[in-house]
Amino acid sequence: MPDFAPSITRLIDELKHLPGIGQKTAQRLAFYLLRTDREQALALADAIREAKEKIRECSVCNNITDTDPCFFCTSATRNKKTICVVEEAPNISAVEKTREYNGMYHVLGGALSPLQGRGPEQLKIKSLIERLKGGTVEEIIIATNPTAEGEATAVYLSKLIKPLGVRVTRIAMGIPVGSDLEYADEVTMMKAMEGRREL
Amino acid sequence: MPLHETEAIVLQSYPLGEADRLVSFLSRSMGRVRGVAAGARRPKSRFGSTLERMSYVRIWFFERETRELVRINQCELIESFVDVFKDYAAGVALAVMAEVTEAVLPDREAGDPSFRLLLLSAQAIKRHMEIDLPLAYFALWTVRLGGWLGSFERCARCNKQLAGIPAYASRAVSGVFCGNCRGTGMKAISPDALNAGVKMLADRLDKIEASNIPKTALRELSRYSLDLIEHQIERKLVSREMLETAV
Ligand SMILES: [Zn+2]
Ligand SMILES: [Zn+2]
Repeated sequence: MPDFAPSITRLIDELKHLPGIGQKTAQRLAFYLLRTDREQALALADAIREAKEKIRECSVCNNITDTDPCFFCTSATRNKKTICVVEEAPNISAVEKTREYNGMYHVLGGALSPLQGRGPEQLKIKSLIERLKGGTVEEIIIATNPTAEGEATAVYLSKLIKPLGVRVTRIAMGIPVGSDLEYADEVTMMKAMEGRREL
Repeated sequence: MPLHETEAIVLQSYPLGEADRLVSFLSRSMGRVRGVAAGARRPKSRFGSTLERMSYVRIWFFERETRELVRINQCELIESFVDVFKDYAAGVALAVMAEVTEAVLPDREAGDPSFRLLLLSAQAIKRHMEIDLPLAYFALWTVRLGGWLGSFERCARCNKQLAGIPAYASRAVSGVFCGNCRGTGMKAISPDALNAGVKMLADRLDKIEASNIPKTALRELSRYSLDLIEHQIERKLVSREMLETAV
């Protein structure tokens, strides 16, 4: 590795901690930042600092928020009878984009993944069960990712929640809109068959 | 850039960059390989569900001379294990097998026995949704194929027959010892576990009846073998801890 000034090396090292950024990309980004004007570069540093200082987890749903409880948990117009369970906070915006859902959320903080040392204890499952105890919630929509881990998590949750008398549903999985059945593998096709509905 | 085609089992897959996946797989013809599946996380990716953990697939990939990672070109599902993960304990057992395979096998060294062992053990879990026998079998044979297992029938030092007498072993030394030759720190290993071990080393997994072996013996064998594996790889298996709370 070529020798850079210590402050550049430090910047490169910090950038390398970001996901998907290796040595080369980190160098490119570092030199890009050094070339841009001072205000612009400092605006980035400022944005990072402000976000880190103000943003925290919602104490109810674990969403990322700058007010606690978060926007969804305090909104008077949202339907408190349904909770949509997602793996990570950014998944909420994917559901919100549909404008079809007006209920509450719960962020698990990942999916069950033994290989990453994530068991039920490591996920925010206890607090979800706590939220069901008031009797307000009638339906849990499980919107974990359509992966082996996401499916395992969905099944695990449904086994836990159904005995409490709460309806548990899973978002439909299967053939993406605009694709061709010919290219669907058997698992995708099977999930699509399982999730079929009356027309 | 030569194109390879081989059967493989997906061991792990991690998100990479914006929409790619970094996939570690055990191939029949080239052993353990790591590669990138470009765009695999997009909804309309041509990889579909094929790169999920433990998928048994036919895979096509390019080797890139200067890079450690291959480029995965195409993947077809032969058998899926996605539904096994619906049972938490069974999913954890598969995770342990994937982690062990990943940890003990060297990069790109073909080993058909390891491939068949992983596949048959995973299929046994899927078929019976019972994990104790397949996991013990897998762990024991992994130790055997790694060359770290001694005899279960005779003392490793004095060669005395172990049938019917107390036997001892530790993770640091291969082999089982009689009471006279027992070293410091060695723990007792039960006759049931030794018997089960002898049976498993002599037979194919699908020929062994789980009901004929006490569960405690199977779990003891798993523990013993996983201890030896952890000693060899010089670290704890992350998924093993989950196993202890799952079963
Ligand atoms: Zn909230
Ligand atoms: Zn002896």
